[in-house]
Amino acid sequence: MRLLVLLFLVSMAVPAGAQPKEALTVDMPGDVATMDPHLQWDTESYTVYRNIFDNLVTRDGGGKIVPQVATGWRYSDETTIVFDLRTDIRFQDGSKLTPDDVAFSIRRIINPAFKSPQLSQFDQITSADVTGPAQVTLHTKTAYPVLMAQLVKLSIVPKAYVEKVGDQKFNQEPLGSGPYRLRTWQRGVQSVLDSVDNYWRGKLPFRTVTFRAVPDGPTRIADLRTGRADITRGLSPDDAESVKADKSLRLLPVATERVAYLFINTLATPTRDKRIRQAIAMAIDRDTIMASLQQGYARPVNIVLTPANFGYVADVPGWPYDPDGARALIKEAGAEGAVLSFITSPSYDRRLNEAVQQMLGDVGLKVDISVTDQPTFLRRRQGTPEDAGSLSQGRWSCACQDADGVIFPLFRSGSIWSKMNNPAFDVEVDAARIVLDPATRLEHYRRAFQVLREEVPGIGLFQDYAIYLARKELKWTPTANEAFFIMDMQWQP
Amino acid sequence: MIRHFAGRVGQAIVATSGVLTIVFFIMRLSGDPTLLLVPEGASAQQIAELRHALGFDRPLLVQYVAYLSDLAHLDLGQSVVQRASVAGIVAERIPYTMMLAAGALLVALGIGIPAGIVMAVWRGSIMERALAGFVLTGQSLPTFWSGILLILLFGVALGWLPSSGADSLQSLVMPSIALGALTMSTFARMTRIAVLDELSRDYVMAARARGLSLRTAVLRHVLRNASIPVVTIAALEVGNLLAGAVIVETVFAWPGIGQLAIQSIAARDFLVVQAIVLFVSTVYIGMNLLADIAYAVIDPRIRLER
Repeated sequence: MRLLVLLFLVSMAVPAGAQPKEALTVDMPGDVATMDPHLQWDTESYTVYRNIFDNLVTRDGGGKIVPQVATGWRYSDETTIVFDLRTDIRFQDGSKLTPDDVAFSIRRIINPAFKSPQLSQFDQITSADVTGPAQVTLHTKTAYPVLMAQLVKLSIVPKAYVEKVGDQKFNQEPLGSGPYRLRTWQRGVQSVLDSVDNYWRGKLPFRTVTFRAVPDGPTRIADLRTGRADITRGLSPDDAESVKADKSLRLLPVATERVAYLFINTLATPTRDKRIRQAIAMAIDRDTIMASLQQGYARPVNIVLTPANFGYVADVPGWPYDPDGARALIKEAGAEGAVLSFITSPSYDRRLNEAVQQMLGDVGLKVDISVTDQPTFLRRRQGTPEDAGSLSQGRWSCACQDADGVIFPLFRSGSIWSKMNNPAFDVEVDAARIVLDPATRLEHYRRAFQVLREEVPGIGLFQDYAIYLARKELKWTPTANEAFFIMDMQWQP
Repeated sequence: MIRHFAGRVGQAIVATSGVLTIVFFIMRLSGDPTLLLVPEGASAQQIAELRHALGFDRPLLVQYVAYLSDLAHLDLGQSVVQRASVAGIVAERIPYTMMLAAGALLVALGIGIPAGIVMAVWRGSIMERALAGFVLTGQSLPTFWSGILLILLFGVALGWLPSSGADSLQSLVMPSIALGALTMSTFARMTRIAVLDELSRDYVMAARARGLSLRTAVLRHVLRNASIPVVTIAALEVGNLLAGAVIVETVFAWPGIGQLAIQSIAARDFLVVQAIVLFVSTVYIGMNLLADIAYAVIDPRIRLER
């Protein structure tokens, strides 16, 4: 009896928080679409599979591109890049990761027959060959400065295993060289990952990670409150404000490479008059948008790009908030009462649409908002200038942290998104994508942004934030490219 | 009798084919999923190539014939979003919705029918007024709100039940209540009307005059007669439950086909949506057939007419 009492007292004396946390639970807004890293690349999918696979290169906490499977790389000429590879990496079945696997992975994703939705991000690569016992050489169509940024997204898959089981099975039962191995995947419900022993990059913080699909925002927050989940992402600024008071939780906001912008049609509708576009730029009160709609979870930008992207130039000024100046310009253009169409879908923040409508109404422009579903909106927005409306909003990220992935598709003539035909702009962005020297590229982008400032085919509204919510014991610093590496997290009770 | 039911089954097949055809064309007329699959910076040519690779540039009639031919081979196709067999994806999720519907039906029948009977038998009393208020609440609260309220109360504040997910019997409780509430109200009201109607009939008065207690009269005679309209409603309510499941499944992270339907519609994953429509219409039509059979069992007059 006394022994029992003693044992009881001893067990009470051990603090509950002394045991390390073995299992981490992540609530996501949806389930993984594909586990094959060369197929879908939506946020849910890569949140999970980037922990199962290693990539050729990756970005560190500060955003710099650093080695991962590759130890280093050099340009032997403008279109030829030689990668030296690690030799100590093993896939989760014990087999070695060899240059064959790297070449295979690249060829697989650029093969049109594979129908990867990601193809457009890698199609500047023409070939990948094994050129040494620990070396792979890539060729690109032209000098391609964004290559390394794109390779950050390329995962290395095991050639032998993929060829043995086939693409279908590989999608169900992936095998990578990353820190976590897939144990089970219940579609629509959750995926469970186990840590790999002796992972080459070091010690892993959790033994098991469960990614749960929980579509409803308030439900995810309730899960965090009850401890059913330890971290979640995708909180809106309003959600963030509502959980601030909860001391058991911690908000983890981060400024991302995503830019919130207003598109303005330069080729059709009343906005084809440059004065109206400049007036619109002066009529939008971006500070109020950032403070009220984004609850401060936003940073100002003067161009259609964020500082997290290469190519950002701080010295090209934005248009000041000047409603009187806007009214004067509109009067000069004889456009008082002009009707502008604002096309949008439920995927975009409705309040921002209405704020823009109100602000433009204040300076004499009537805005008609037209809401359709997302694919219809995309079809109109990417269609002829007459079809694309006068205005729409967007939150653009190329997941490449480079201006080439942002202003080239958005504004270069001939792109499906662009409703602008400006040869001076085209020349600059064309030149910036085939020269490797960063300083030269920056000069081209500076000139490009000066054209954009004058022509106003779009306005940068703010640098968007990603807001994560975690139990207060979870230590993690999110990054601008919204990477979700479990290895970088720590539990400190 | 057999000929009659064979006829009904034939009608059911025609109805289901009609629904499938309408859904097929309506979804495709507003566009395809290609734009949703490609990265933001993809060029017009890259989009066209992916569209061609996935087969969405074929004329609609060609796609329709191909779909029918696959159906004839019992092949429901591949999901373009998940790159996996549609039959597999849908089959995995059906049991969850079945469980949820069963739970909701249990709540609805278990609370609704007794409530309806009590409201009819003790008409005019305080009990009836209280129950009527309760029933009205069940009818008025939208599930996207009642769901999160239940989670906040029983999950967060009290900690009695899990706040989301489908991993235990306890996690079935709140979603069943949220989903069953509206159907419960419908059953309560229908049962009350049906029982009241029967209670006013001559045979009840005659039975009471013969000395039968009200309780025996209700249990032995009234309920059986009153069940006919309730059975009709029950068959229709299954359809409502499947529809309501969409919201409840989303709020509670319950991985059924309702949630899958919403996500697939948004993603333009046509073949998954079509498979779900096929399943749901089969269930709905099947339930109505079952209701017809139940009538024949309950009401001898229907049997004799046939």
